[in-house]
Amino acid sequence: MTGTAAHIVRTLLLSLITLLGVSVLIFLMLRVLPGDPARVLAGLNASEEQVAQIRQQLGLDESLLSQYWHFISGVVQGDLGESARTSRPASAEIAVRLPATLILAFVATVVGSLVGVTAGVLAAVRRNTVLDHVVSSVAMMGVSMPVYWLGLLLILLFAVTLGWLPAAGSGQPLSIVLPAVTLAAFSTALVSRMTRASMLEVLGQDFMRTAEAKGAPPRTVIIKHGLRNAFIPILTVISLQFGALLGGAVLTETVFGWPGIGRLLVDSIGARDFAVVQGIVLVYAAVFILLNVVVDVLYVVVDPRIRY
Amino acid sequence: MRVREPRRPVPSSSPTLSHRSEIVQLCATSSEREPMNTPAPRRRTPRIRSFAAVAALGLLVSACSVNDPEAPSSDNGDGNSTFSIAVGIDPDTFDPAGQTTTTVSNMVDYMVETLTTVDDDGQVNGKLAETFETSEDGLTVTLGLRKGVTFHDGTPFNADAVVSTLERITSPDVKVPLGSPYKVIDSVTAVDDSTVEVKLTHPSPGFLSALSVTTAGIISPASVTADGNTNVNYQKPVGTGPYVFGKYTAGENFSVTKFADYWGEKPYYDTVNFRIVPEAATRESLLLAGQVDMIILPPVSDLKSLQSNKDVETLLAPSDRTIFISLDFQDPLLSNKETRQALNYAVDKQAIVDNVLFGAAKVLDAPMSPSLFGYCKTGSYDYDPAKAKQMLADSGAAGATLDLLTPSGRYVQDAQAAEAIAGYLRDVGLTVNVSTSDFPSFLARVNAPHSENTVDMHLLGWAPPYLDADFQMQMFRQATHPPAGLATSFYTNPQVEQLLAQADVELDPGTREQLYCDASKVIWDDAPWIFLWAQSFPIVHSADVTGIGSTPTEKFDAIYAHPAS
Repeated sequence: MTGTAAHIVRTLLLSLITLLGVSVLIFLMLRVLPGDPARVLAGLNASEEQVAQIRQQLGLDESLLSQYWHFISGVVQGDLGESARTSRPASAEIAVRLPATLILAFVATVVGSLVGVTAGVLAAVRRNTVLDHVVSSVAMMGVSMPVYWLGLLLILLFAVTLGWLPAAGSGQPLSIVLPAVTLAAFSTALVSRMTRASMLEVLGQDFMRTAEAKGAPPRTVIIKHGLRNAFIPILTVISLQFGALLGGAVLTETVFGWPGIGRLLVDSIGARDFAVVQGIVLVYAAVFILLNVVVDVLYVVVDPRIRY
Repeated sequence: MRVREPRRPVPSSSPTLSHRSEIVQLCATSSEREPMNTPAPRRRTPRIRSFAAVAALGLLVSACSVNDPEAPSSDNGDGNSTFSIAVGIDPDTFDPAGQTTTTVSNMVDYMVETLTTVDDDGQVNGKLAETFETSEDGLTVTLGLRKGVTFHDGTPFNADAVVSTLERITSPDVKVPLGSPYKVIDSVTAVDDSTVEVKLTHPSPGFLSALSVTTAGIISPASVTADGNTNVNYQKPVGTGPYVFGKYTAGENFSVTKFADYWGEKPYYDTVNFRIVPEAATRESLLLAGQVDMIILPPVSDLKSLQSNKDVETLLAPSDRTIFISLDFQDPLLSNKETRQALNYAVDKQAIVDNVLFGAAKVLDAPMSPSLFGYCKTGSYDYDPAKAKQMLADSGAAGATLDLLTPSGRYVQDAQAAEAIAGYLRDVGLTVNVSTSDFPSFLARVNAPHSENTVDMHLLGWAPPYLDADFQMQMFRQATHPPAGLATSFYTNPQVEQLLAQADVELDPGTREQLYCDASKVIWDDAPWIFLWAQSFPIVHSADVTGIGSTPTEKFDAIYAHPAS
C-alpha cells in the first residue's frame, strides 16, 4: 500500500498546481466577460460617480496583477474576499450553501447507483428478454428527459395532484425526495447502461463458466464473480456522475428551490459577483480533485491487482 | 431602479445539459464495446433483493404524506399563525440603504417604515412624518414626526433617528445604489424631539416622494452597532414596522414575526414566511398544492388558467415599468423623425400584449406609465403597416437593415416580444437582426458612450422607484446620456430640455404637471422609442385569504392579509 500512499501524496501535490491554474483561468475569464460589476451592483439608476465609487470600494480600479495578488494571497490565508452583492464574506456565502448541494448530489448518486446497477445486472443476465428491453427503454427515457421537465412533472404529480410531498424548499425531511429522484434519473439510466455493457463482457469470460461449473450458487456467480469484475468501469461512471451532479444540479436546484451552491453560482455570475464565483469554482475544482483521489483508492479496493 | 426578478426559462447552456451530451457519447461507446458473440447465459437468474428493497422504499415514501411544519396560514392551538409567500429572488441585502430589487425592498418594508408614502394617484401622504412642509423658496423641508412610536429594539422613534438615517444614506462610506435623489440634502437638523428640518442645496419637487422609497426607511440609530450590524454592513434591520426580523436562511426562506408594540393597526398573522423559489412554475405549484398562500410572478402563459381557477385569485397589478424599444436618435438612418414614427406605426402592440404577454401589460399612450405624477394621455400610434411602409419610403429608409438587441428573461416575455416586433418590422420591408445576451453584457453594450455604440435599437424597461415623472424623464435628457445615465436613445430636444428644467424647480404641482404633459407631447411626436407597454405585476393568492393589494411600484401589499371570512 506504500505505493498507493505515495500516489495519493503525489496527486495532491500536483493538484496544487492545478488549483493555481484554475484560479488564474477563472480570474481572467471573469474579467474578460462584458458587464461592469460596479454598474450591475449600483443599479440602472445610479450616477456615473456612484458607479465609480463602488468600483473603488470593490478594488476594481486597481491593476489586474494587483487584483490577482489580493485574490490569491487571500485564498492562501483562507480568505476568499467579500461578496459584492451581499457584503458578506464569500467563504461564508459558500459554506452556507455547499452542504445542501453535497447532500443532494450524494443522495442522488446513491439512489442512481443502487437502482442503476441492479437494473443493469438484471438486463445483462436476462439479455434480449422483455425485461432487458424495458430497462433499456426506461434508461433511454431517463437519459433523454430534460431535468427541468421531469422535475416539473414530478412536482405536478406528487405535490399538486397527490399532495404527498413538498413542491419546493429543503426545510422538511421529505423535501429531498423529489429533487434527488429528478437528479438521479439521468445517472440511474447511465449507470444501468454501463453496468449492462460491462456485465455482458464479463459474463462471457471463461472464469464465469468455471465458477458455475464448480457449483457456486447463481447469485454468488453473478455478484461475486461477475459484478465485481465488471465494477471498475461502473465505478468510474458513478464517480464521474457524482462530480457532474455537483456542478449540474443547477437546474434541479432552481426547479425545486433547493438552496444549493449551483444556484448561488448562477446568481453570482448574473451579478458579476467576482469573489463568490471565484470561490465556488475553486471549491468545485478541489472537490473534483478529492473525488479522483478517493476513486483511485476505491479501484485498489475493488481490484487488488491494481497498483500505483 | 428596481430590478425585476428574472423569469427563468431553461438556460440553454446549462451545465447539466452540456454535460449530458458528453455522457451520452460515453454511453454510446460503451455499448459499442458490447461483445457481439457472447453466448447469452441461459439459466435462471437469482432474484435480486435490492430491487425489492428499492420498491419497498418507494412504497414507504409514498405512504408518508406531508406533515408540513411550514404549512401556510396555519393556526395551531395557541393562535400562532403563519402566512407564506413564494418569491423568486434571494435577498442580497436587508439594509434599506442598499436596496436595488423591488422584491427585497418589499420584504424590508415589513420591518422598516418610511417618512412618507405615495398613493396610486402620485399624491404624497405622511407615514412616520405626520406633517411635511416645504418652504416658499423650496430649500427647507420641515417634517413633523409621529409621536409614541418605538423601534423594535425599544429605542424611541424621534428626530435623532431621522437625522442619523438621512445622514447615513448620504454618507460616502455607505453603499447606496439608489441614493441619487438624496444628494440634494445639504443638512439635517433636529429642531426638537419631533421636528426635523432638512435643508436642500436646490429646490427638489420630487424630494418628498423620494422619502417614500425603502432606501430612506428609518432605522434605529442604536441598531447600527448592535447584533452584528455595522454602519457599512447592516444586515439585520431594526425599524418601526409591524414585523420584526426573524430568521434568514440563504436561498431558502426569510421570516418575520409580529411586533407587539407596533404603533398602527396590527396585522393578523404572527409570522410571515417568504419562501425563495426561483422557478415560476414551481411557485405556481406551491400555491396550487396549498403549500403557500400567495405567490408573485407565476408563469405568464398560465395566467388564463389561473384566472379561471376558483381556488385562487389573480391580481394583474398595474406597474410603473414602461417597456420600449430605444431607437438610436443619432444614428444616420434613425435620426429621421419620419423613420422613427414609421417604426411605431409598423408594430401591432395590442396583438403582442394579447398573444405574447398573455394580457399582462397595457399599451402605452404616453412616454410614461399612467401611475406617475405628471402623466397625461398623450397620443397613440395605431397599427398601420401601409402608412408605415409609405413613411419609410418617403424617408428613404425602405428596405433598411437594423439590429435589435434584447435582454432575455429580465422583463415579462422580453425576448419573445422582441422577436414578434422584429416580425412586424420585417413585414414592412425592413431587415431586422435580433440578438440577445445576459443582462450585465447587455447593459455594458447599451450603456456605452455614443462613439462606442454598436446597437441600432434595443428593448429596455424603466421603472421609477417613486411615482413621479421626473425620474421617467431622465430617459429624455442630454445630461443622462450614457455613460452618465441610461437615456440610451441619445435623444435630445431643446424644447424638452427647457420644459424639464422648468419642472425641476417648479413647486406648484398644477404647473409642474402641465410642464410634464407638454414635454410628453413633444417626446411622443419625436418618437425616440417604439412606445410599447406598461407591464403588469401578477400576484396570485389562495381564495382562502383576502386583504391583499399592490402598489404601482411592483410591490405587493399583503401586511394586512387575513383569512377570508
